Amino acid sequence: MQRASPPLTLSGTEAERGFKRAILRLVKGGAERLAIEAGQIDAIIDPSSGNAILLPKAQWALNERKAEALARNSNRLARAILDALGTPIVVLDVAGTVLSTNEAWRVFAAARSGVGAGITQGSNYLAVCESARGNEHVDGVTIAAGIRQVIAGERAVFRYDYAYDSEAGRRWFALSISGIVGDDTARAMILHEDISERKHGELLLGLEHRVLCCLADAGNVTDAVKSVIRAVCETQGWKCGRYFSMDQSAKVLRFGESWGIPIAAVERFLEHSRGLVFRPGAGLAGRAYLAGQPLWVLSGTRDAGVSRTALAPETGEDGAFVFPVTSGDAIVGVLAFSNPIIREPDDRMLKSVQSIGRQLGRSLQRLEALDALRRSESRFRALNRLTSDWYWEQDRDFRFTQIIAGNPFGSSNILGMTHWDLPNVVLTDSKWAEHKSHLDARWSFCDFEFATVQPDGQHAYYSICGEPVYDEVGTFKGYCGTGLDITKRKRAELALRAEVALNETDARLRALAATTSG
Amino acid sequence: MARKKKSRAAPDITASTVVVMVLYVTESGPNSARAIANLEAICEEHLKDKFRLEIIDVLEYPRRALADGIVVTPSLAKLSPSPAATVVGNLSDKLEVLRALGIRG
Repeated sequence: MQRASPPLTLSGTEAERGFKRAILRLVKGGAERLAIEAGQIDAIIDPSSGNAILLPKAQWALNERKAEALARNSNRLARAILDALGTPIVVLDVAGTVLSTNEAWRVFAAARSGVGAGITQGSNYLAVCESARGNEHVDGVTIAAGIRQVIAGERAVFRYDYAYDSEAGRRWFALSISGIVGDDTARAMILHEDISERKHGELLLGLEHRVLCCLADAGNVTDAVKSVIRAVCETQGWKCGRYFSMDQSAKVLRFGESWGIPIAAVERFLEHSRGLVFRPGAGLAGRAYLAGQPLWVLSGTRDAGVSRTALAPETGEDGAFVFPVTSGDAIVGVLAFSNPIIREPDDRMLKSVQSIGRQLGRSLQRLEALDALRRSESRFRALNRLTSDWYWEQDRDFRFTQIIAGNPFGSSNILGMTHWDLPNVVLTDSKWAEHKSHLDARWSFCDFEFATVQPDGQHAYYSICGEPVYDEVGTFKGYCGTGLDITKRKRAELALRAEVALNETDARLRALAATTSG
Repeated sequence: MARKKKSRAAPDITASTVVVMVLYVTESGPNSARAIANLEAICEEHLKDKFRLEIIDVLEYPRRALADGIVVTPSLAKLSPSPAATVVGNLSDKLEVLRALGIRG
């Protein structure tokens, strides 16, 4: 069917008109031209090239369809990526309403309590946060404020760490809120990363460091044990701990030190513990001693090997955590902690308490040695007081470095002097030369006597004993010794000698007189 | 894009004439979509199941259209019964379509 070509009525922009003219040149038939003019044509096939040329509406529709398909694919990809991520994620609109969540979030929100529990697509995250009560109130309000700032574009990212207590123990999360730019509806994305393992490790590392500091600062066994118990209790949230030391002579564990939070029940419990003694293998402490390993009784459970009644003096009605204190291969005591909630320790916790047990054991050994040394020194000083008037030390050049129990030479500062430098010393050069030769030969000497001239012109007499000092590799370090003020004895001797001499003179004179008179 | 080709054959066409048609379309085009809808309505009303229709997407098979003398889409070609006829456009003029198909409206 052929029709006459209709007149063309072109409209639109010059480009459109040009395109239409080009199209019409391809079409010879009147029906086709009419259809084109009526806007009923989608495409024209160029006879020369065989290609289909889409008219604008069809081209636009094709583009739309492609864009929609692309968007659908893009959405599917975004959803797949979100679901593939192990971190719980929610996406919010400008009002804080949850537009979408990923699979990890759905598991997370269903399993947890606290801020964010039960939030699903369509929930309002801001409302949930702001309605949080109890321990989560502060977290909820802070998080809601952060979300508002990010949605408003006041900040690109808001980060916040928070914790909550679940039945399985305390859990920590790092919350990160990031702004979304370029989407019509999505404004913010919230990630909750579980950082419990890292945080738990940090706490235990902090505990180990605190224990080391406590032990470094402790001046005695009591301070050391109490400070370690306190550090463990405060870090773990336990209410009290006790130390049972091993009495090697009696072969029993005896209650030694304790620390607890200041409440009546704990104080009573610790008071009742005084005098407790366990044989190795008896009770939880005795079993931990025998096993050489940490042992625990979880809250609300019954230990298979020890009845609750038997444990009552050890744990009260609570759970207990007990671990040995070691020094080298020997177990020197047991630390026992009690708390209403004791949870199964993980490997990190077990390593930590073993480390603390070793640190405390080493420190106790050092402090006990220090105590023994103090007692020994005390005995030495007492003995020194009984047998001599002062104790002295000299360096390798025989200069005084220390005088203990007073300065025998009056107010003069003699540190840095040698014996022969002492003020107003009286001794012949030959005697000093002989003494110095003994010192150079590193000989011990005893009852070496010398005198000094006192301000009143009289002589004071001293007797000293000394012996060489060597370090651990045998290097000569100087001399140490004691001194005795023998002035009274010496003056008495001199007086006696003078009297004897006088008597002898008198006798000789009398004998001479008798001879001459006879 | 897969070839879009629909064939609808009547189970018994011995008693009446079967109209054989080819509709050339551009799958994404709005006029093509309208032409398909209009033709389906006409077939439903006037031919029931006594027709065979093939729909060709010229973006997929432009050579086929050229070989059949088709230069624009949508275009409906009636192949049989004779005489052959072609209708150009979105088939919104129902009378013109019926005339081309040899159906008295």
